Amino acid sequence: MTALLLTLKKQPELPVDLSPLTPDKLKGKSKAQISAIKLINGKDKTPVSTLFSVSGSDTENIRIQRSCRQLTHIGEDMSFGEIQVRGDAGNYLGKHMHGGHIKVSGHSGDSTACGLKGGLIEIDGDVGDRLGANFIGELHGMSDGTVIVSGNAGHRVGERMRRGTIVVRGHVGEYCANWMLAGSIIVLGKTGNYLGNGMKRGTVILTKKPRHMIATFRHCGLLKIEFLRLFFKQMALANKEFNFFRNFGPEAIRFAGDVSCEGLGEILVLKNARISK
Amino acid sequence: MEINGVKIDNTFAEAFPMKATRLIITAMTLKWAYRAANSLTGFASSVIACGCEAGIEGELKPDETPDGRPGIAIIIFAMSKSALIDQLTKRVGQSVMTTATSACFSGSHSDKMVPLGSNLRYFGDGYQISKKINGIRYWRIPVMHGEFVCEETTGVVPAIGGGNFLVYAKTSRHGLTACERAVDAIGKVNGAVTTFPGGIVGSGSKIGSKYKFMPASTNEVYCPTLKGQVKTELSENIGSVLEIVIDGLSEEAIRTAMLVGIKEVCKFGPKKGIYQISAGNYGGKLGPYHFNLRDILA
Repeated sequence: MTALLLTLKKQPELPVDLSPLTPDKLKGKSKAQISAIKLINGKDKTPVSTLFSVSGSDTENIRIQRSCRQLTHIGEDMSFGEIQVRGDAGNYLGKHMHGGHIKVSGHSGDSTACGLKGGLIEIDGDVGDRLGANFIGELHGMSDGTVIVSGNAGHRVGERMRRGTIVVRGHVGEYCANWMLAGSIIVLGKTGNYLGNGMKRGTVILTKKPRHMIATFRHCGLLKIEFLRLFFKQMALANKEFNFFRNFGPEAIRFAGDVSCEGLGEILVLKNARISK
Repeated sequence: MEINGVKIDNTFAEAFPMKATRLIITAMTLKWAYRAANSLTGFASSVIACGCEAGIEGELKPDETPDGRPGIAIIIFAMSKSALIDQLTKRVGQSVMTTATSACFSGSHSDKMVPLGSNLRYFGDGYQISKKINGIRYWRIPVMHGEFVCEETTGVVPAIGGGNFLVYAKTSRHGLTACERAVDAIGKVNGAVTTFPGGIVGSGSKIGSKYKFMPASTNEVYCPTLKGQVKTELSENIGSVLEIVIDGLSEEAIRTAMLVGIKEVCKFGPKKGIYQISAGNYGGKLGPYHFNLRDILA
């Protein structure tokens, strides 16, 4: 069986909701049935065959070719299988995803991995705002799973995040870890203002000292955080993308906060972190 | 049957089912990992009075441990899951957590998990932090040396306790010399540990006593000083009997451990004061696992 290949014929003018095209929802469907699925395109519903040329049959292994930012909700609610996106992805990539693997070769839009519940999302380019944050109206952001962004991420990374791991190899915008409840965010680049604002628990690991630290974080000094040895080794064992963690040691400057809330979160600025990309 | 002039009795070691878990203890150096492991496995020779039996399984290199530091694998055995939970909490809490720079991880994963760090986390008095990595939850407990990291649960597996063999020697010195070599050889067998001091029992027991409050008492038929006074198992030339007790995670592990141990002892032979190998059993009434010496050595 070859992967189900969806090649975009022409870039749509309005956003197209691709949430019906997941391994879960396509399981057992024939090529003709898949081609007939209607996708929300602006206020219209357009059949898959109008937007994509469809080939292949393995619905557990979906490849979207010539993808663009107008393709939204890719991999929403999926629980198994793999989606590979060649090109950019729109907003809400991997929203409420439970399991499986999404890989994007380009950039991804806002609210990527919002409400993520499990699985792995890898983005080779940049992502928009609210990476791993809560979906509009929901109390919690991502609650499990792993997101790896090779480029930069926008504002409010991991807002209200409850569990799971976000790794951003580039820079992040403002309000990173805003109202974070738990989980881990690792940023190899620079961080914007208001880092950790309202943070209740959780860990933000940085390789560079933040330009601006909010007043409600307490400086705990340079420490050997034994847990970091475990964290870096296990992350590197789980995913070869994290091999660079092997270069990181346990020494870090610890900031505890946000003391205006429970104050049990932490920002760890690694000492002598060698980054080999 | 004889090996190198050492008589092998036609008898069997009688063992019984237990519950066990393997723990991995790491520390800044192997020396400190050993200190934690020795403390945890101390006073854990027999379930008769210690609550559990525990022993060191082996050393682990940094690339074999979860946190990349040198470590020690230990196995702890108890008669029931609840007894195991109780002993884990007490021993890891008092022996491992109190050892500077130590951390404790599960070394056996099964579908039956019991609390490890989840019972110890309360020591953090609200400052403890939980972290889930690759589906496994760990607890970070702030302590005075820095941070005690402990896996939340550990897997309980069925195990076997009481594998054994007896070494009849001319003197205690002869017996100990041979038994020390046997214990070293058994130490290389995965999944098997010797829980008594130095791996050797100097005072093997029988079930019961003339005193009602004693669950076990001296096994007089093997006591050299009682020869002539009681019905004895010992011939004239035997001045010391030592026992090696082996607990294991499987029948195969115990069988292998007994084999390498007995072979090592037999290398000494009668000229070096080793005359006979036997095994302790209770006529088949104690446990369902019977390790026949001659079958093992065949």
